[in-house]
Amino acid sequence: MNSLYNFVSGPLAWMAFIIFFGGCLFRIISILALVHKKEKFIYTYMSWKYSFRSIMHWIIPFATVNWRKHPVLTLVTFAFHICLIITPIFLLSHIILWDESWNVSWWSLPDSLVQVMTLIVIGSCVFFLIRRLIAPEVQYVTSASDYIILAIVAAPFITGFMAYYQWFGYQFFTILHIFSGEVMLVAIPFTRLSHMLFSPFTRAYMGSEFGGVRHARDW
Amino acid sequence: MDKRILFLIAVVLFSGIAVISGYPQEEMEFLDNSVFDKPVRTPSVFRHEEHNETAAIEECNECHHIYENGKKMDDESSEDQRCSDCHDKKDSGNKLALRKAFHKNCKGCHIQQNKGPVMCGECHRR
Repeated sequence: MNSLYNFVSGPLAWMAFIIFFGGCLFRIISILALVHKKEKFIYTYMSWKYSFRSIMHWIIPFATVNWRKHPVLTLVTFAFHICLIITPIFLLSHIILWDESWNVSWWSLPDSLVQVMTLIVIGSCVFFLIRRLIAPEVQYVTSASDYIILAIVAAPFITGFMAYYQWFGYQFFTILHIFSGEVMLVAIPFTRLSHMLFSPFTRAYMGSEFGGVRHARDW
Repeated sequence: MDKRILFLIAVVLFSGIAVISGYPQEEMEFLDNSVFDKPVRTPSVFRHEEHNETAAIEECNECHHIYENGKKMDDESSEDQRCSDCHDKKDSGNKLALRKAFHKNCKGCHIQQNKGPVMCGECHRR
């Protein structure tokens, strides 16, 4: 078990972070290069003002008509994304490992709060799964990979929860926890999870088109 | 009461205390974490004698080290001191913070030797 732990927390962690950061950079640069090559005309109406108007508008829960039309989804998706990003960064156990490896540390959230946030992430994943299975408009754009991606996102949180409480199979769940986190990092740049990188760009584009071309409200 | 009986009772009592206080290390199951204000995890499991036997550690300063100018002193040891006598709650210069010192001293060696507990919950058991 020690060798396996050393492997997933050493070389495999390095690889995951290198592929994550390298992959993100590569995806952003290549998509911008593609725009530059094929869709140069969008520069004529891309605008900082309308871009940020749209990003700010859509980042606030219930601010847009679409958010208000789907209140439950809005609530779940905001709670999910906030917890998904905050939890791993401000978890004490993670901060201790950063501190021991790199001598950097920052403030942490209390474990009890992190537990609730973890359950919010897991619960949201269940919600997304059910929605994918029963909502026709979602079924229509669903492929097998969407279920795999959902599992990739849920796995680090489920295994982390199991490892925290140490009910059974502690070593197994801890190693699986680290490994599943690495799988998720690697998957971000190369799957639909890349909306983490591209959503500000697509929002900026839509905002610019609605503002500068259609002279319409940013709904 | 007979003075001799009193004397005998006293001898039995004192030797009892002497025997009990001679075995603190054998009985130790957990590290004493009372120095931390609000410990977030359970105290680390640690059986001193058992550990040193399985790890085949002869020298006290293998763990109870003394550092001078960033160098570990070969023939000095610190088993008469508490870890917290040197290690503060925060890093100071080259000296590790207490929590980090505990982690590095135990887990650091376990990783190097590829033996012994390395994951959080292997020592901090619920």
